[in-house]
Amino acid sequence: MNFHDLQPMALGVLLAAAAALVLLTDLFTKPSTKPNLGWLTFGLLSAVLVASFTLDLRGEVASHVWRGGAWPVFLARLFLVAGLITVLGGMDHIARKWTYRQGEFYTVLLLCLTGMVLLPGARDLVLLIVCFELMGIPLYILTAFAKTDSGPKPVEAALKLFLIGAGSTALTVFGAALLAGLAGTTDMSVLVSSTLSPLQGIGTMLLLAGLAFKIGVAPFHMWVPDTYEGAPTPVVAFLSVAPKVGGFATLVMVLWQALPRLIHVWGPVTLVLCALTLTVGNLGAIAQRNIKRLLAYSGVGQVGYVLLGLLSGREFGVAMMLFYLAAYVVTNLGVFLVAHAVAEAGDGETISSFDGLGRRSPWLAMSLLLFLLSLAGIPFVAGFWAKFFVFVAAWRAGQSEMVLVGALFATVALFYYLGVARAAYVNVSAKTEKIVVSRALAGAIIACLLAVVGLGAWPSPVVEAAMAAARSVSGIGP
Amino acid sequence: MNPLISAALVALGLPAALALLLAVVPKLRRTGKPAALLSILGSLLALSAAGWLAATWLHDPKQVLDLTTSWLPQSGKSMSQVGVHLDGISVSMLLVVAIVASCVQLFSLGYLSDEPAPALGRYYAYQSLFLFSMNLLVLAPDLMQLFLGWELVGATSYLLIGFWFTRPAAGKAALKAFVVTKFADSGLILALITLVAWTGSFSWNATLPAGGAEWLALFLFIAVMGKSAQFPLHIWLPDAMQGPTPVSALLHAATMVAAGVYLIVRADPIFAAAPHVRLFMTDLGAITALFAALIAMVQTDIKKVLAYSTCSQLGYMISGLGAGSLMGGYFHLTTHAFFKALLFLAAGAVIHAVHSNELSDMGGLWRKLKFTTVAFVIGSLSLAGLPGLSGFYSKDLILEAVHESGNPLALGLLMATAGLTAFYMTRTVVKAFFGKPSHAAEHAHGPGPSMTIPLLILLVPAIGLGWLAGPMSKLYGRSYAFHLDTIGMVTIALGLGGIALGWLIYGMGLLQALPRAFAPIARIANGSTVDDLWALSYSKLGMGLARAIAWFDRYIIDGLMNFLGWLFMWSGQRVRTLQTGNVQDYLYAVFGAAALIALWGGWR
Repeated sequence: MNFHDLQPMALGVLLAAAAALVLLTDLFTKPSTKPNLGWLTFGLLSAVLVASFTLDLRGEVASHVWRGGAWPVFLARLFLVAGLITVLGGMDHIARKWTYRQGEFYTVLLLCLTGMVLLPGARDLVLLIVCFELMGIPLYILTAFAKTDSGPKPVEAALKLFLIGAGSTALTVFGAALLAGLAGTTDMSVLVSSTLSPLQGIGTMLLLAGLAFKIGVAPFHMWVPDTYEGAPTPVVAFLSVAPKVGGFATLVMVLWQALPRLIHVWGPVTLVLCALTLTVGNLGAIAQRNIKRLLAYSGVGQVGYVLLGLLSGREFGVAMMLFYLAAYVVTNLGVFLVAHAVAEAGDGETISSFDGLGRRSPWLAMSLLLFLLSLAGIPFVAGFWAKFFVFVAAWRAGQSEMVLVGALFATVALFYYLGVARAAYVNVSAKTEKIVVSRALAGAIIACLLAVVGLGAWPSPVVEAAMAAARSVSGIGP
Repeated sequence: MNPLISAALVALGLPAALALLLAVVPKLRRTGKPAALLSILGSLLALSAAGWLAATWLHDPKQVLDLTTSWLPQSGKSMSQVGVHLDGISVSMLLVVAIVASCVQLFSLGYLSDEPAPALGRYYAYQSLFLFSMNLLVLAPDLMQLFLGWELVGATSYLLIGFWFTRPAAGKAALKAFVVTKFADSGLILALITLVAWTGSFSWNATLPAGGAEWLALFLFIAVMGKSAQFPLHIWLPDAMQGPTPVSALLHAATMVAAGVYLIVRADPIFAAAPHVRLFMTDLGAITALFAALIAMVQTDIKKVLAYSTCSQLGYMISGLGAGSLMGGYFHLTTHAFFKALLFLAAGAVIHAVHSNELSDMGGLWRKLKFTTVAFVIGSLSLAGLPGLSGFYSKDLILEAVHESGNPLALGLLMATAGLTAFYMTRTVVKAFFGKPSHAAEHAHGPGPSMTIPLLILLVPAIGLGWLAGPMSKLYGRSYAFHLDTIGMVTIALGLGGIALGWLIYGMGLLQALPRAFAPIARIANGSTVDDLWALSYSKLGMGLARAIAWFDRYIIDGLMNFLGWLFMWSGQRVRTLQTGNVQDYLYAVFGAAALIALWGGWR
């Protein structure tokens, strides 16, 4: 094998190289110039994003083990966008709080992105799990980054994620081992032979349970609120979107690609988990007072809708799931970054810290409102089409009851989303001074805003790309 | 490009451009008066475009013109068409909207003359935005664009109701209108989902699977119930009267609430294939008509009388459409738009004169406000269904249709409503304009020309539109010639009886026992029973469920977890565990659930 054979997975290779470059640069940089590491990472990520458009990324690596094409490229772009916005939005915070550890932060983030970008192309169970862990382990480090902060919360947040993550990984690996052991191979395309054994069912379910942890499906969601509350906000912003995309990509690979014949086993369970997730997420969010906890539960609720798209399955459902994830990435990053901006100004992380935002910083409040409307699925911002398309897919797949349940919870969700908007626009606050937002953070918020509004006005290009991506994964055709 | 299409694009684009201009140029907006005049000029130009279109279509009613571009292209074909669709139905609605909007914008200039300049500019920016949204809805070639307009109209109405945002009641009312109609809008979203899932497009002419039309019509009707304030989703409309009165005339009488009725007219092919939903519409419309008329009898706020009367008349329209009379429902929409806008604007002139909405602060106003009195009385008579005035013809059409559909219950309710309508409008007229003048009424001042001219314009259709029913019917692809039969005569008798009874009680002070009998109605009306029921089911039930889940989580799940925890602790007591909150519980949940689904996996 020569280096040229790796071209289909070039994005992963480039990101790993970028991580090494940032780490080396960090070693030879004086503390005063360290803030430039953020811009270096941003530039490198942009370059990789450009490369995803210019390089030929089709073909296979090492016979079937890794396959390129529209599917991994679409997901890679999503991960890269999430990474870019996180770096842009968080770099001032990172530079200020962890001046000497910036290099570590960006290196770990880039390694996490390497795992993510490589994940969707993996066609071998072992490689899949390796990529999944390459995505997961850096996240433990990132959530623990605020360990020096006062109070036990940051440590608690990271430890909870780690402990439950470790347990879930055990489940995943055990499930994968059962499947591979029975099939006698780790090649995902021939994982299920003609004779079905109960052990295959057990293996599938354990694998599903392990993956459900990462995307925060109820009842595997319990770490989510605690971790979101305690971890540093830029990390939470990233954590709330990118690993979910990775988790869902893996689920598509495992369920629709490798185990479609076991749909009678995982189908009903996923349906129940979907309903449970919608219920727990949306009802749990109502009573929250901390914005990050609210967004944690809201994120759990959102996952329910993505699951609905996944369940509706085959090409259209998976494509609509991808579109949902794309809309969710930009919206949720946006709303977390606005919360970050408010918290940075020293106003805390409760919902009442948004009081009077409409008068203090009209642009920030307007962005917040649009992100919230997008999360709530109000026309015509990105989130509306996301919910709409997922519902259409579900209806076509004969899941009309779930569409009704989903629509009902979308109305419930309006309460808590509008509750935050209400604080910003209706409630009055003693504070009147404008909230100062750094240039980079403002740029990140504006990027999210443009994406949310743009996807709302003209969703077609992304829908088309998602359709192409779903089509390129063999085995999930209609 | 066809000049007719260009005219439609002017009616659509000009208000949008003006709204955008006022939004992005704060300097212009804050000047107040010039911004207002610009917006009025825009609405008048839109009106002339609509007038020309309507004249063309009256001449050649069968014409259909389209200018569309595909939106949401998907896999080679397009799901949605956006642009303008011109036919008899859309053109006539365009004219109604343009006339009422122009009158209201002109009237507002006098009504809001005391507002500071920036607020006035903001108001006119909203007005232009509203006109654009409404025209977008009216000219929609398919359900998706109609939905776009529908949502924009809703959002603009939120802004206009909450215009006086410093009043807490206005903010609350705006939020209520938003949440209630949003709840109903899930019906429209469901309709869009099912329509595209079944047919791959948003056209209302697509062939549907068997039984599909009933579901689709039901989903659409849920949305209509919210927007057109049908029982029990009517609760937002009376509260919406917190907005400025001209806003009520435009949104809550003539155009926005009529959007629901317009949707049914547009989606006629779907509703025509849904007999069960139509029957439900007939009954629910009749119930709404009577229920709202009963509440209107005891209102003491002149705008609330008109608000409930609007609910009631919308009930008529829905009932007529349910009975299968597109002509009846749509024609009543048209006549009602004019006479109700006239009534609201006249009420606005009164409120402007006495600085109060309460009927008790009025009385004897005819001496000071002669022209306003004439306008209000003629509007009331048209609403009461006096023969010769426009309201009579459209109401008669609906009653005939309900009669022919063989629904005696709905017919009875609607006939009773006709009598009640005449009664409560007489009560309002007498209390406001005749009788002993109150203190405020003695110091009342007459409206200026910017307020009287719109009244004068609206008087013309409010009186004479009934005579145009023949040519109008051709626009809807129907034919019509007036003939008076039993139903019509009974309605006339009921109307005259209602007026006479109202005069006896409130004009001459006789039969005072009767109003006292209304006390229970007043209790229901003022105690806002329906609101309480909603509050109970909507927030209390929702919160209750949330609490129940929290309780379940805390006691049952935790209890279970504690037991499991005790079990595991007991077995592994020697192992010191990390004490970080209750992460153990989380782990038990993860492993417990995993074990549970693994069991299922093995069993299957």
